[in-house]
Amino acid sequence: MAEAPDEQLMLAYREGDAGAFESLYARHRIRLFRFVLRNIKSRASAEELYQEIWMRVIEARATYRPTARFTTWLYTIAHHRMVDHWRSARLPTVSLETDDIPASNPGPQQHMEAREALSRFAAALESLPAAQREAFLLHEEAGLTAAEIAAATGSNEEAAKSRLRYALAKLKAAVDDG
Amino acid sequence: MADERDPRLSQHYRDLGAEEPPRALDQTILSAARRAVEKPHAPLVTPGGRHRWYFSLGAAAVIVLAVAVTYHMQQEQPDPDSLGISTAPEAQKDEAVKPAAKPESASRELAREPASPQAAPPAGPSAESQSRAMRAPQIETPERMLERIIRLRKEGRHDEADKLLAEFRRRYPDHQIPAVAKK
Repeated sequence: MAEAPDEQLMLAYREGDAGAFESLYARHRIRLFRFVLRNIKSRASAEELYQEIWMRVIEARATYRPTARFTTWLYTIAHHRMVDHWRSARLPTVSLETDDIPASNPGPQQHMEAREALSRFAAALESLPAAQREAFLLHEEAGLTAAEIAAATGSNEEAAKSRLRYALAKLKAAVDDG
Repeated sequence: MADERDPRLSQHYRDLGAEEPPRALDQTILSAARRAVEKPHAPLVTPGGRHRWYFSLGAAAVIVLAVAVTYHMQQEQPDPDSLGISTAPEAQKDEAVKPAAKPESASRELAREPASPQAAPPAGPSAESQSRAMRAPQIETPERMLERIIRLRKEGRHDEADKLLAEFRRRYPDHQIPAVAKK
C-alpha cells in the first residue's frame, strides 16, 4: 500500500483506511509545509494554514474523485486557503525569515560567494509578486507542470507559463548578479 | 520551456532549508484523520482494541430484549377459560353440579393441564381461581385448536365451536380452515 499512487491512497482513505492517509501524509508533509511557509510571512500562520489545508483534505474525502493528480488537488486546496489568508490579512507580499538561510560559515572564498548567491536568491524569491512566487513554488516544491499550476490556481495555462517564466528569469538574474 | 527546471535555481531553493512541520502538528492532523473515518458508521466485523466492548454490550442488550419480549408475549396469551374454551369440560361440569367438589376431580383437572410445578390446590370456587392464576401460560398450536373445533362440531356443541373458531381466526388469520371445522 505504501507504494500505491496518491490517488489510490486517497480513495482507500475515503473508504475508511486511516493507514492510507498516513502514507499520503508522509509523502506530502514536508513539501506542502515548505510551500506554505515560503508563501506566508509568519511561521505560526504557516502552521495554522498547513493544518487547515489537511483538515480540508480530510473533510473533502467523501467527495474526492481522482479526475486529476492528487498533488494538483492538494495544492488547489492550499492555494485557496492562502488566498483566503492573504485577503483577510491584507498581505500582498511575503518575506522569508532570515533564519531560513543557513548560518554563515567563514571559510574559503567560494563558500562566501555561494552564501551571497543564496542570500540574493532568497531576497529575489521574497520580492517576487505573489502569483509568480506561488507559480515557482508549485513548480519547484510540488512538481506541478504549467497546466497543473493553472488548474491549481484557477488561471489558464498561458498565464501560468508566463508567471513561471518571469519568476525563473528574475531568480536567475538575482543569482547571476553577483 | 517553463516546465523545465533550472538545476542551479533548484539547488539554491533546496539550500534555503528543509523545514518540517512540528511533530505535534503531525499528530494533530493524523488523529483528526483517524477520528474522521471512525465516526460515520460502526464496522460490520469485530473490531480490535478499545472498541471491542461495543459488541459485548450490544449482544447483552439483544439477549435481554429477546427474553423480555418472550416473557411479555407469554403473559399476553389469553386465558382459554375467559374465551369460553374449556380445557377440562368434564371437571368443570362436575364442579358446576357439585360446588364442593371432591379432591379427586381437582387433581384430575390438574392432571389434564400441562406440567405445573405447583402442588394440587384444594378444591372449591376460590381454589379454582387460584388454580387459574397459577396456571402456566401455554401456546396452543393451530392444529390442536382446529382439532378441538372439529371435536366440538362432532359433539354438536356448535356455539362453543363458533367461539373457538372466531378466536382461531383472530389468532391465525392466514391459516387455512378445513370445511369440517366451519360447519
